[in-house]
Amino acid sequence: MSGAMIETNGTPLVLVADDDPDILTLVGFRLERAGYEVLPARDGEEALALALERQPDLAILDVMMPKLDGYEVTQRLRDNPATSGMPVILLTARVQEADITRGFEAGADDYIKKPFSPQELRARVQAILGRR
Amino acid sequence: MSIDALVWAALALTAAGSFCAYVLSVRRLYLLRSDRRHRAGEERLATVTAALAEGDLPRADEPSEADLELVAELLARYSRQLTGDARSNIAGFFESHGLVGREVAHLGDRRSWRRACAAFLLGDMGSPQALNPLLRALDDSSREVRSAAARSLGLLGSGQAVEPLVHALVERRVPRAIGGQALLTLGSEALGPLRPLLLHREPNVRAAVVELVGLLGDAGDARLLTSRLRDSAAEVRAKAARALGRLGAEEATIELREALGDRIGFVRANAAVALGLVGDRASASALLEVARSDEFDPAQAAARALSRLYPQLLWSAARDRTSGPHLAEAADLTAAAR
Repeated sequence: MSGAMIETNGTPLVLVADDDPDILTLVGFRLERAGYEVLPARDGEEALALALERQPDLAILDVMMPKLDGYEVTQRLRDNPATSGMPVILLTARVQEADITRGFEAGADDYIKKPFSPQELRARVQAILGRR
Repeated sequence: MSIDALVWAALALTAAGSFCAYVLSVRRLYLLRSDRRHRAGEERLATVTAALAEGDLPRADEPSEADLELVAELLARYSRQLTGDARSNIAGFFESHGLVGREVAHLGDRRSWRRACAAFLLGDMGSPQALNPLLRALDDSSREVRSAAARSLGLLGSGQAVEPLVHALVERRVPRAIGGQALLTLGSEALGPLRPLLLHREPNVRAAVVELVGLLGDAGDARLLTSRLRDSAAEVRAKAARALGRLGAEEATIELREALGDRIGFVRANAAVALGLVGDRASASALLEVARSDEFDPAQAAARALSRLYPQLLWSAARDRTSGPHLAEAADLTAAAR
């Protein structure tokens, strides 16, 4: 069990990183409504710092972010022993086969296409956290 | 001119300048405050609006007129990020507050910028009530209005918009990028209405549709696209070859090999590219023959396809000094990539 789950009294902590505040609002609202605690970040560097500091149970990362893109953040999470097992979902408007492959090669567990369905997002988060 | 007159003129200019500076400062201050109020309002209403998008009932106390405008603005933005039930909920909000009707009425405004704004907003609202008015707006006299209508029709996701969008695209009533993107946004919804258009009487329509089916379709569309390799229009044959390559249609390799002998060079070039993408090693000798030809595009495409399929054959052929520049170039590039 991660540190975050102890800190938040059993409520899973989900890191959501996107430079679009509307996405942060929509994803955050859906996840909080589903019973998760949400940790928002507005760029790749902030996401990485929060991930290392708070050790969330899951990270949902936009691919195109300032400072560090989602692939790079995923790669660095995988390279760090403290976060190497953290599930990562990429939230991306880039759905060409090559982009998806690149995400999985970086170590992502799943990807969600933008625009997204809030129900699908919740289901995928539940599926991944349920397996742990 | 007397000194007095010059002094008065200077004073008048100074006064006018000071007045302008004052007006600009006041205006800037007003805009800053207005912007700050707007952002504060958005922050205050963001969660409520997200709840509305998820289908939560509005609060018991109805929002003020100003709040309603802000919620509508936020919902329009949110709708660009959401699919599924959330978009239906957003459409329901706009319909129930009469905002869809208001924007549809604006499509008849005499000012083209107003009509363009309305056409754009109707896409964000996502209401099916806007479908027919937007289809009519594809014939608007203003290019901006037609473009906004095309973009919005893509967002509405109705198959009924497919044929009118294809015609608007090929008749250049809307920019190619916007019309194409609208059809791609429709996604698999567009495929059903697109397939019969592969047999449309106008070659331009067939060519556009072949390209779209190649982008949106799957292996099941290979048979339809293969039949277009015998189309009377070279543009259609070339795009059909390219689409088959993109779909990785192995069942079309015989026809694609035949297309290497097409009388039009760019059809042969596209057939060569497609065979490379499909990965048909049995085509190597046919590709080698095209790569040795002296027509630039087909020869270059064939040599590059060969480098994907059969690099050893390419290298061995490139050693022959009579094999032409394209084989040598492709061999060099392949060797450098290793």
